[in-house]
Amino acid sequence: MELISILLYGLPLFFQLYLIWKIIDRKRHQYCYVLDYECHKPTDDRKLSTRFSGEVIRRNKHLGLNEYKFLLKAIVSSGIGEQTYAPRMVFHGREACPTYEDGIEEMDEFFHDTIDKILKRNKISPSEIDVLVVNISMLACVPSLSSRLINYYKMREDIKVYNITGMGCSASVISINILQNIFKNEKNKVALMVTSESLSPNWYTGNNRSMILANCLFRSGGCAVLLTNKLAWKDKAILKLKQLVRVHHGANDEAYDSCVQKEDDQGNIGFHLDKTLPKAATRALVDNLKQIAPLILPVRELLRFAIVSFVKKMNWGSTKGEPKPVINFKTGVDHICLHTGGKAVIDGVGASLNLSEYDLEPARMTLHRFGNTSACSLWYVLGYMEAKKRLKRGDKVLMISFGAGFKCNSCLWEVLRDLGDENVWKDCIDTYPPNTLVNPFVEKFGWLHGEDPDTFYVPDDYVIP
Amino acid sequence: MPHLSPQFPTMFKYVKLVYQYVVNHFLTCLLVPTMAMVLVQAIQLGPEAIYIQFDFTKTLCSSFLIFFVTILYFMSRPRGVYLVDYACYKPPVSCRVPFSTFMEHSRIILKSEPKSVEFQMRILERSGLGEETCLPPAIHCIPPSPNMESARKEAEMVIFSVMDTLFKKTGVTPRDIDILIVNCSLFSPTPSLSAMVVNKYRMRSNIKSFNLSGMGCSAGLISIDLARDLLQVYPKSIAVVVSTEIITPNYYRGKERSMLLPNCLFRMGGVAILLSNRWWADQWRAKYKLLHVVRTHKGSDDKSYNCVFETDDAEGKTGISLSKDLMAIAGEALKSNITTIGPLVLPPSEQLLFLISFIGRKVFNTRLKPYIPDFKQAFEHFCIHAGGRAVIDELQKNLQLSAEHVEPSRMTLHRFGNTSSSSLWYELSYIEAKGRMKKGDRIWQIAFGSGFKCNSAVWKCNKTIKTPSDGPWSDCIDKYPVHIPEVVKL
Repeated sequence: MELISILLYGLPLFFQLYLIWKIIDRKRHQYCYVLDYECHKPTDDRKLSTRFSGEVIRRNKHLGLNEYKFLLKAIVSSGIGEQTYAPRMVFHGREACPTYEDGIEEMDEFFHDTIDKILKRNKISPSEIDVLVVNISMLACVPSLSSRLINYYKMREDIKVYNITGMGCSASVISINILQNIFKNEKNKVALMVTSESLSPNWYTGNNRSMILANCLFRSGGCAVLLTNKLAWKDKAILKLKQLVRVHHGANDEAYDSCVQKEDDQGNIGFHLDKTLPKAATRALVDNLKQIAPLILPVRELLRFAIVSFVKKMNWGSTKGEPKPVINFKTGVDHICLHTGGKAVIDGVGASLNLSEYDLEPARMTLHRFGNTSACSLWYVLGYMEAKKRLKRGDKVLMISFGAGFKCNSCLWEVLRDLGDENVWKDCIDTYPPNTLVNPFVEKFGWLHGEDPDTFYVPDDYVIP
Repeated sequence: MPHLSPQFPTMFKYVKLVYQYVVNHFLTCLLVPTMAMVLVQAIQLGPEAIYIQFDFTKTLCSSFLIFFVTILYFMSRPRGVYLVDYACYKPPVSCRVPFSTFMEHSRIILKSEPKSVEFQMRILERSGLGEETCLPPAIHCIPPSPNMESARKEAEMVIFSVMDTLFKKTGVTPRDIDILIVNCSLFSPTPSLSAMVVNKYRMRSNIKSFNLSGMGCSAGLISIDLARDLLQVYPKSIAVVVSTEIITPNYYRGKERSMLLPNCLFRMGGVAILLSNRWWADQWRAKYKLLHVVRTHKGSDDKSYNCVFETDDAEGKTGISLSKDLMAIAGEALKSNITTIGPLVLPPSEQLLFLISFIGRKVFNTRLKPYIPDFKQAFEHFCIHAGGRAVIDELQKNLQLSAEHVEPSRMTLHRFGNTSSSSLWYELSYIEAKGRMKKGDRIWQIAFGSGFKCNSAVWKCNKTIKTPSDGPWSDCIDKYPVHIPEVVKL
């Protein structure tokens, strides 16, 4: 009977301990770590100088003086410099009729540059990758780009792969959301996230002003990121994901229509950026921050903000003339990676969050050096901070991105060790920040503003100086 | 001896049945005698002796322990994912493309290429498609007008229709939805189709939306896999998966033969599926429970990768070319998928036989034919992606299925054509419409996709499904099954 007693109590107890251990073990393996990231720097022959930009604009026979003036104003206020990169087909003069192959070649160039480097540096072979997420918004091809990668790198048969498209500049954070969820379900996985934008098939060749703007802002770039939830590799990791919040304002028609890909009156497909875009972005940003602030800021800051807002609302004391109370994100966040959507976006977010020039410098410099590289811009901004040796162990980095639809997605990372690799900024970090951000377009093309549309004429053999 | 030979196969059948029963119910066979022994022992001891053992505290402790263990056990298990209901798209009759319409259009559009017209006709004759398949309105124009505007219209037509039907069927409102996944392989506008759905139905701002594309005809099961992962992480959630293929932008207007094939096969279709992990609310009304999803990607093999390929033809027109090796590659991909799914679904008797045959081949004689496990023992219904007649024939041969097993696939191909990722759901709908779905039935959905992928999903029927009064087959189920001739003379 002793045996029966032992069995009766011993077995369930044992089983119980085993179940408890299983639950705890699962929780330990649920964190998302970034092992490494590699941003793409295209070759120098793809740099878009001011002179060549003028050349490209002139080549478009649909544009007249009014469009030139508009473009000049847009480019000057864009915050973009002379060293951004354009797709190769522009340099071959084929922007009016890109082929399907151009789009694929652009992606191949990016893949082979970044993914080779990142796998070699971390001594990981392609067959060790368990999850692959590729997000390239404006190119959907058969087989998908993720299959293309699997074929080129000979990855495993049982790989979990997702190909995300159409989600705009915030797709990077959406991919991290997918990985975060996969890591919560499965142990010991290594993931590769590849993010970029395809510009070759999407160059706009018409004369609709809201659509030519996209040509002025979007530039080539890309990033490959290695993530894992393997506890054994925690020492090699550089970032740990703490929070992720997604906000989707698609239910609001104004937000949904603020950036849409559609055909213009002549049938050219382009990206329409509406005037309501800044408003939609601000609303989405505020909504997102409202949700993420309680999760990342210390309690005293939240209390302070609550009290100050309450006081202002009740109109106690002489608070009439004072500006609206702004929550101080710097109490819980050390660095902010902003999506480099354009100068207006960076200025807008800086004003909303009351950020200093030091905080906005990485985003501004990324916009200047690389332009708006869409979903992967966040990683270039992170690269700038790392190259400037700003990232120290224990620091918190907040990534904020916007996307068509209209979405605002943000995530908070904790830096696990001091970082100082110069990465993609290696040959130019010392020249940043530059003394002046005045756009060279003003100097070269400022005379356009004085021209009269009726008498304006560009001779065919005119050579831009 | 002659009079033994007719008895021999019958004897063998009985031996096989006994073997299957013993191996499959091994634990029961072991446990029953043990329990009987314990019972006999207990009776021998007498009730008094047993009663002394269990005083009040011991009983309390042990019942507490058992209760605690049960709670922990349910906490550590993965959440069940239930398919509450789904809605397939039924295109309007005005979109119908009978053979005569298709050939007439071909003759006009490909006026300068009579050989290509001839080729399309031959494909159509042997395709297994019927006269009621549908193409979107933009493709009915002569010449077809595939611009972005009409592609968006087709997307709205299909997706909004299935979503409305799904909401009506399940009683769920758009604001209840927590996760939205849309997959459409070849049309990917910005904002995405998922954003279009969020906009139309005014969904919540904290919805988790995803838009997958480029993943071919197997993308539907990839979306289900993603939904399952998400439903494990987010408690008390419901997910909507929309699978469709927007044909408008992909009508090939050139003359390369391998690229004309998709024009003949792909047709309009779509499905919206409601998945839930709220077992207390939805288990009683859910139709199916998801058991397994297994994904196999043969992209590392160059031949597999290149067999379905989008490229520009010699004239710069973009189209999808299908290689001649497609069937062989599909067979290979299926074999890889079976090796993973076999151990998860096959009864122990089949697994043991497979193992013995495997060891036998490796150790003794490599020329022995490999034992193909009998999947009919593991599943009652099979939904094979209606990629084309050849695909269904190939799979029927490989898995040794009967004509009745592949009937849903063949009839779906006949009535709706190749609707890409949603075809599996039309097939499931057919089985339900025929009244064949009983509680406890297991269904195997197999889909292939470009890359080359082979994905499977295993479902278990949660409750016997009455013949539905609506659905894509409601007006024509009595006509089916039809006999599909090898060649339809045009």
